[in-house]
Amino acid sequence: MFVYEKRLQYPVNIKTTNPKLAKIIITQYGGPDGELGASLRYLSQRFTMPLPELKGTLTDIGTEELGHLEMIGAIVYQLTKNLTVQQIKEGGFEDYFVDHTTGIYPQSASGAPFTAAYIQSKGDPITDLHENMAAEQKARTTYDNILRFCDDYDVKDAIRFLREREVVHYQRFGENLRLLTDKLDEKNYYAFNPSFDKKCFNKRKPNR
Amino acid sequence: MSECAVIKMTDREMLLKKISTYKFAALDLQLYLDTHPDDENTINKMNMFKEKAAPLVEKYEKKYGPLTKSETEMNNWSWIKAPWPWESEDDC
Repeated sequence: MFVYEKRLQYPVNIKTTNPKLAKIIITQYGGPDGELGASLRYLSQRFTMPLPELKGTLTDIGTEELGHLEMIGAIVYQLTKNLTVQQIKEGGFEDYFVDHTTGIYPQSASGAPFTAAYIQSKGDPITDLHENMAAEQKARTTYDNILRFCDDYDVKDAIRFLREREVVHYQRFGENLRLLTDKLDEKNYYAFNPSFDKKCFNKRKPNR
Repeated sequence: MSECAVIKMTDREMLLKKISTYKFAALDLQLYLDTHPDDENTINKMNMFKEKAAPLVEKYEKKYGPLTKSETEMNNWSWIKAPWPWESEDDC
């Protein structure tokens, strides 16, 4: 069950429209390392996570990513508010505009629509946690790249907040991986799937 | 190049930012607690931030309408009142 809170996790107050920047930032809405993929990835993977700490982390980070999705939507919305045809032309926004006007659509910076192929839910927590740590780093790099093109403080401020969250989430997933491997048979943990082959948990000589 | 923000926030936005700051501090600690569930120090800190947010939320909701739908409504459904989180006040 989810409950909506009528506020952004971090405020977004952009005063200057910039369709060119909007077209870059939309990639964190529905692109390969975007927030939609992030939330779907964690909220899907959590069902087969074996430990309470891991279930909690994936639920909470997956939920936070939905808040980030909303922030990115707000940024793109505010960057494309009250656009004139002249601004659309100057900002190279015609190709997005012709398909979506100024609607917020999950796509990458190059225009590829969102696909679940951007994420994996492998049913093996070791595999999934490695994917998640990589995903956080990929998102961090994307935010770094976005920041190269931001000269508006209001945009930068929000993007920096989101970038920082990628770093924190990476840290939490790293702890998840450590918690998990600490509980496994340390000689064997890559030979088993801790969610499927339950015997690999090191419970004082499991009955093999 | 100067990097200072020209911040012209309304009273509503300022109060909401305060709320979000405390709520964010609590959320970040909650995330930490997922992997460190027995850290009493952090639990206390998290509770402290939640306690700081509570009266501000009450003040906000009285003045500007509910942040969540859990509040009981009197005779008008203020949930749908503008602005929504992605809007600014001059949109309304």
